[in-house]
Amino acid sequence: MSLRFEDLAEGQEVPPLARTLGREDLVRYAEASGDRNPLHLDDEAARRAGFPGVIAHGMLTMGHLATCLTRWAGGAERLERLAAPFRAPVLPGDTIVAGGRVRSLDPAGRRAVLEVWVTVQRAGGAEHAIRRGEAVLRL
Amino acid sequence: MNQAVEGKAYPPVRYEVTTEAVRAFAAAVGEDPDRVPPTFLTVPEMTALAQVVADPDLGIDFSRVVHGEQAYEWRRPVLPGDVLSAAPRIERIRSRGGHAFLTVETEIRDRAGEVVALARCTLIERGTG
Repeated sequence: MSLRFEDLAEGQEVPPLARTLGREDLVRYAEASGDRNPLHLDDEAARRAGFPGVIAHGMLTMGHLATCLTRWAGGAERLERLAAPFRAPVLPGDTIVAGGRVRSLDPAGRRAVLEVWVTVQRAGGAEHAIRRGEAVLRL
Repeated sequence: MNQAVEGKAYPPVRYEVTTEAVRAFAAAVGEDPDRVPPTFLTVPEMTALAQVVADPDLGIDFSRVVHGEQAYEWRRPVLPGDVLSAAPRIERIRSRGGHAFLTVETEIRDRAGEVVALARCTLIERGTG
């Protein structure tokens, strides 16, 4: 069932979508996207760059956020804009949780502007992989 | 990085969208296999960006690069069979806190020349200090 503009309210939350990423997910994303930067595949290269080991592609995290939004909205064609500032690295074993909140509604254009984010849950706490992102849906 | 290359445009790179590539990408980002994920555009975008990061005039050290920010504006959904062209242009280069920030806008058009999407990528070249 597709989301209707009439069902939206300011402040409404997007149902969060969680996914735990393993090393094999990073490899699969590297193959599918063609982004084989060693930062995502080679612990030694990642350590030389100052990380504890390989980190997930920012675009894998953003792709998960887009999946969360298009599932809720009922189709990729409803997403007009998505902006994602990457704030913290995601490591294998982390669970990422995508979410968002309706910030404003434009009934004339049938558009909703959302603040969107992805948090990282790991032992010892949570932080934002994507913080203060913005999405525009047209319904 | 050399700030003098701000505004530099690069030739468009051709990219053909295949069902196989879409399925592999959809599986990687947890999307249904028969849907084209919106961020699939990163594939033609990154193909086009390869010539930017390899440009000796820019002088970026890719081993110190992380992805700082990414934005897309879609004008229409991407479909299997689309033949896209992705043309990057260096929008700005800035230094802040010992790091250098490179923002590239890539215009993605279809075979008819219509704009499919605009992509804006900010890469951070981390300082050595």
